Amino acid sequence: MFNTWSWVIWLVAAAVPAFTLRNPLYLALVLAAAGLVYFSLGRTSAIGRSWGSFAKIGLFLFALAIPINALSIHTGQIVLFHLPEGWPIIGGPITLEAVIAGAVSGLALFTILMVFATFNAVVDHYQLLRATPAFLFQAGVVISIAITFVPQMVLSAKEIREAQRIRGHRFRGIRDLLPLIMPLLASGLERAIQLAETMEARGFGSAVEPLPPRRALAIQIGGLLALIVLLAGLFVTAYFVEIRTWGWAIVGLGVAGLLATFRLQAGRVRQSRYRRPAWHGRDVLVVAACVLAVGAFMIARMAMPEALYYSPYPPNALWPPFQPVAGAALLLLAVPALAAPEALELKP
Amino acid sequence: MIRFEQVTYRYPGGGSPVLSEVSLEIQEGEFLLVMGPSGSGKSTLLRCLNGLVPHFYGGVMAGQVEVDGRDPVALGPKGMADRVGFVLQDPEAQFVVDKVEDELAFALENQGLDPLLMRKRIEEVLDQLNIADLRNRSVSTLSGGERQRVAIAAVMTLQPHVLVLDEPTSQLDPQGAEEVLDTLVKLNQDLGLTVILSEHRLERVVQYVDRILYLPGVGQAPILDHPRAVLGQVEMTPPLVTLAKALDWSPLPLTIKEGRRYAREHSWPAGTQDGNLPGTVAASAPVSVSVEGLRFSYNGHPALQDISLEVHRGELVALMGRNGSGKTTLLKQLVGLLKPDRGRVQIAGPDVERGMDTRQAGLDEIIRVVGYVPQNPDALLFGDTVRQELDFTRRGHGLPAGSYDPVLSALSLEPYADRYPRDLSVGERQRVALASILVAEPQILLLDEPTRGLDYHQKEALTGFLQAEKERGRTIIMATHDVELAAQCADRVVLLGEGQIVVDGPARQVMSESLIFASQINKLFRDPTLITVADVLRLQSGREAA
Repeated sequence: MFNTWSWVIWLVAAAVPAFTLRNPLYLALVLAAAGLVYFSLGRTSAIGRSWGSFAKIGLFLFALAIPINALSIHTGQIVLFHLPEGWPIIGGPITLEAVIAGAVSGLALFTILMVFATFNAVVDHYQLLRATPAFLFQAGVVISIAITFVPQMVLSAKEIREAQRIRGHRFRGIRDLLPLIMPLLASGLERAIQLAETMEARGFGSAVEPLPPRRALAIQIGGLLALIVLLAGLFVTAYFVEIRTWGWAIVGLGVAGLLATFRLQAGRVRQSRYRRPAWHGRDVLVVAACVLAVGAFMIARMAMPEALYYSPYPPNALWPPFQPVAGAALLLLAVPALAAPEALELKP
Repeated sequence: MIRFEQVTYRYPGGGSPVLSEVSLEIQEGEFLLVMGPSGSGKSTLLRCLNGLVPHFYGGVMAGQVEVDGRDPVALGPKGMADRVGFVLQDPEAQFVVDKVEDELAFALENQGLDPLLMRKRIEEVLDQLNIADLRNRSVSTLSGGERQRVAIAAVMTLQPHVLVLDEPTSQLDPQGAEEVLDTLVKLNQDLGLTVILSEHRLERVVQYVDRILYLPGVGQAPILDHPRAVLGQVEMTPPLVTLAKALDWSPLPLTIKEGRRYAREHSWPAGTQDGNLPGTVAASAPVSVSVEGLRFSYNGHPALQDISLEVHRGELVALMGRNGSGKTTLLKQLVGLLKPDRGRVQIAGPDVERGMDTRQAGLDEIIRVVGYVPQNPDALLFGDTVRQELDFTRRGHGLPAGSYDPVLSALSLEPYADRYPRDLSVGERQRVALASILVAEPQILLLDEPTRGLDYHQKEALTGFLQAEKERGRTIIMATHDVELAAQCADRVVLLGEGQIVVDGPARQVMSESLIFASQINKLFRDPTLITVADVLRLQSGREAA
């Protein structure tokens, strides 16, 4: 559909406003854009089905955020009712402002989750893993196996529950977990062993060349030193304001050292890449839209922060401010949904 | 090409050796079948070929193995990966990546091949195995046969000289098995690839293989010879060969075509005992299961449509049909795990005058009458001993723990009563699962693919057991692909297609009118009275007496 990197850029572009905004109008726009992308592109993928679970968790968090904020923050002018003052934390006036603020934080959480859920549904996980740097290669394979493994485990869990139910198994206490957990663990383990066997038989692991122990040690020590230098640099910049420039230089040195050790590590991995994902015209379009959206958002944030900011508590107005141009910029995040008409043909 | 010299192998902690002093030689380009009872060391021998034994499993090994000029014992599986391709039996457990094309690339990327070369190899393999249309599919959406072909393709990309497969079709339905075996025959004939596989369904492969390696079990020397020679000496044979041996047909026929020649010579008139087919139950027995106009959909897909069915007490019904035709769904309806969208499912118990409707009755009430053995026995087993498993079911049904000797002895499980169930072989585990359902004394027994992974001996034992249970008045309904099993013990065959009943009739009649669901013996004589070896021998001895 789209290049993996386009999606990563989309994720960043959508996550930045979702993480930094507290204005419900803009949040709603980001949410709408993510929803549009999911409904036009994400519903076809197998893993995209987990979108529903993300939505449920998000709604739960949203519902939780309102009472937590309303019960713990007691400022505001529009008092709904009073709880006895003697009650710790929750005692005092319960205000409409606090309820609204809770709802807005809930909406922000929900938006963040949905942005990730959409990304999860539309991105090609294997390509994403292959985009990880070579020294993280092993971790990437582990995650890829887990992604293939989980749906199978879910199926076998269902099968086990039904089979035991027919034998009269009922769930009364923690002990009754055993007849469900044991077969699941045992079959999962058997599957894991079989998978390990096939991977071994297909020559997995020959991709990593063993290092001579001395060099391996040298690389590890080098990495550690670089990390120490990096931390020292951060320390200098934080506490010795007058020589901050030097501090940043030390940080740079540490980063360079770390990168060098990563490179040395990566040199050990002798593996190639089957196909670099294609880069189409529509990817350019998506990336341009994302850059524009984030750019406009950043400029708006610096030039007119008051148009983005929102807090329901006095002296602010209850109704959030809205700047149409900034809003339109955020809607650009929905461009992937429009730029890929052939996605519809992919549907079975 | 492949040479074993005095190979002896013992698993770690295991007492007696699995392989003892095995010596053999396999030629290049050979299609070799490895057969033998379960536990005879087939898998172990296959794993010696790429060094998984002893590198992956540990244990003690003696003797010499040489494959394509290399020593797998010294090099290990990684060193043999580009020479020996290895495919396992479980089509679900061998994928690293979810997309077919990426799965094929996985091994190549690990070898660090040039992207252009990879591209070429993958295109070639996709065409060779005829799976180009699957390239963009997710592995989880493939059928069993497709998965196994993808698994074969994934090792073929490394261009091995030898392909080793450990029971590649034992978990597949007949169509899937056919796909896989056709693929192997093609690879062997077109590329001259050496193919070595172990397999229980001999009737499907014996005609293609060049030689058979028979492993009789511990202590006895293996036999390696041409198919006819080996099958002449061993007991585990497909029905056609069993019959041919009993009637002294020589040389042994391996295909129906060859068998027909002999059968014609016998010139038995077709339909000798027409009108009175043995094994049909009178419909006078009380109704035990009744299904009326049952409709059911799964996530919007119609899974069962307008099913009406009546099964009488003491009847043994075989539900047959393609994968996904609704067999398992129907069984789950009968035990109340699923409820009908429309229509009715009624179950009659021994002491319940009127049937209970699965929609109204609770699951606890239903399972007092109905027992259900799922396809995969591992879904049930969790206890430390077989006895504990049986206790668990009794407790679940609110019954006192009892003596399980009758059930255990009927299933010849007595020696295993105190063993850990998961350590047993597939056939034994299947029987333990069966026993742990039977101890609740269900009037109606539902079985889902009871013969998956069983060898001929185990199948025969199961057939005998089912017949005995039926005679004791139990109603048995089994979903199966196994035509020979249905021929041997079913009274009635219900054929499902696309969630509908296509045919419902006496087993002999349905099987002799069908092309796909006919037993080997029936294909040989095309006579509804002759569908098993026993039928023919009975007729033969009747003639000799006359």
